[in-house]
Amino acid sequence: MQEYSNGHQVDLTTRLGTLVLRNPVITASGTYGFGEEYAAYCSPSSLGAITVKGITPLPRLGNPVPRLAETPAGLLNSVGLENPGLEEFINSYLPKLAQLDTAVIVNISGFSLEDYSLMASALEEHSRPKNRDQARSGGIAALEVNISCPNIKHGGMAFGTNPKSAEAVVQAVKRNTTLPVIAKLSPNVTDIAEMAKAVSSGGADIISLINTLLGMSIDIRTQKPVLANKMGGLSGPAIRPVAVRMVYQVYEAVELPLIGMGGIATWEDAVEFMLAGASAVSIGTANFVNPMAPLEILKGLEDYCRQRGYHSVQEIVGLAHG
Amino acid sequence: MYLNEKVVENRLVGHPGQAIYKMVLKGQAAQTAQPGQFVHIRVAESFDPLLRRPLSIAGINREREEITIYYRVAGKGTRLLSQIRANEYLSVLGPLGTGFTIPRDGEFLLIAGGIGVFPIYSLMEAVAQPQVKIKLFWGGENKEFLESAGLKHLQDLGIDYEITTLDGSLGQQGLVTDPFRKYLAEVSNSFAGVKDKTKTPPLWAAACGPPGMLKAVTEICLENGIPLEVSLEERMACGVGACLGCVCTVRDAAGNLRRKRACKDGPVFEAKEVVWDAGV
Repeated sequence: MQEYSNGHQVDLTTRLGTLVLRNPVITASGTYGFGEEYAAYCSPSSLGAITVKGITPLPRLGNPVPRLAETPAGLLNSVGLENPGLEEFINSYLPKLAQLDTAVIVNISGFSLEDYSLMASALEEHSRPKNRDQARSGGIAALEVNISCPNIKHGGMAFGTNPKSAEAVVQAVKRNTTLPVIAKLSPNVTDIAEMAKAVSSGGADIISLINTLLGMSIDIRTQKPVLANKMGGLSGPAIRPVAVRMVYQVYEAVELPLIGMGGIATWEDAVEFMLAGASAVSIGTANFVNPMAPLEILKGLEDYCRQRGYHSVQEIVGLAHG
Repeated sequence: MYLNEKVVENRLVGHPGQAIYKMVLKGQAAQTAQPGQFVHIRVAESFDPLLRRPLSIAGINREREEITIYYRVAGKGTRLLSQIRANEYLSVLGPLGTGFTIPRDGEFLLIAGGIGVFPIYSLMEAVAQPQVKIKLFWGGENKEFLESAGLKHLQDLGIDYEITTLDGSLGQQGLVTDPFRKYLAEVSNSFAGVKDKTKTPPLWAAACGPPGMLKAVTEICLENGIPLEVSLEERMACGVGACLGCVCTVRDAAGNLRRKRACKDGPVFEAKEVVWDAGV
């Protein structure tokens, strides 16, 4: 809480079930590295949480380049889950992440139910602070289950587009962890509410949405797809209306707290997602354009609430309904 | 650094058909800029185009707090950039990335392809002459291009250079690797009688240009035992190492393939570690 000389206090505390954040602004997986890359521009300690790049059981080289294609107000990517693998993540990255004065959400991805179980149980051991230094942040704050990556051939989105397997993946993670489990939904489905209900049945504590929309860009000079992987995930302001619509639908379908994301670049965008039903927001591609975006968004959210007489930022969640 | 840099100058240089612009930015970037680094510029307030544009630093003047950038208008982003007027301010991230190693002795061979010469300009200015002898090999499409991209600048600097053009309109017709290879053979012959290699001046090399050229230059340098650094270009989003969009492939000491980020670990890499045409 912050005090202002010419206004009341706005409580920014954000409760997503048992996951309590100091404010509702999070950075999205794959856009904020492992918390170091943007530290000079936007201190992790000013954020509600950071979500680290998706981790798989084994190291992955990811897809060949070109991995990026710019589109109107959007970005197609096909990074393909390049990551150092679970063991290297635990040994080299986690100790540094645990020192950060913010909640750390670890995004996990796999190719089988066993992969997800294995990662959940391996990370469970690191979910509690090891010493006093880590006690401020508390190690890992939550697991985000990526069942929505469009850039890998098996697993990923395949789990996230079938309600039964989505439920099974969440269940597998839930059985192997005491941490809050966030299910990250793919927008590449016909009925997002059905997927939300499935992960809710599987035991998810929180739902985050949306991941990228499957897309493609073709170079008319070479007459070939721009991305080496041909297709990729579209992010950025271009996808925002789709994301807002899906948050709105999922808010009506399930009782779980939601983390809204998809093209949020300004505080106005963040307010829109919260009105649609998101209790927190994640900032992704906007970081690439403006590394200060998360801080500016937080400030704008707070001002909006104060000017309209809200005492807690959570009062605006879901106001667009009914 | 997240900066607001003042545009001192932004104008077309050379032949209009080549669409090459020179931009001078005044501000803090000049304080820490190193040859080979780049700045990540937001060309407009709007979200179309969405991403910043990475542009290599072609000149650094710490006293005047100015950096110089050359760019070619090739799409919407650079077109918008070309419309920025003097005294306006630009949002700049940088200087970013790792720069070139600057040799302190011997002969420094610079190989540039097309607009790959731009980062080489700042590198040449940073080398102490005459302690280090510089020789530049520069290939371009044609005379108009070379004139627009700074041939006069090279002449003013008094640099020893050899140029090639694809159409033969200026210099030797062909690829820049031809005179480079020929020169190395001459150097090799001139020291053929020297048994003690510590008595011959050390040779260093740096290159920037299209991937095919860099690959060929790497092979030539490896054959001749010349340490080479290359500046790589890849489609980039964040510019700070977070998004993993701009990776290149390297082979580590254990022989395994690994990715490195052009924006953060590079754009300058030791050529011997780069795996060209990785195919994965």
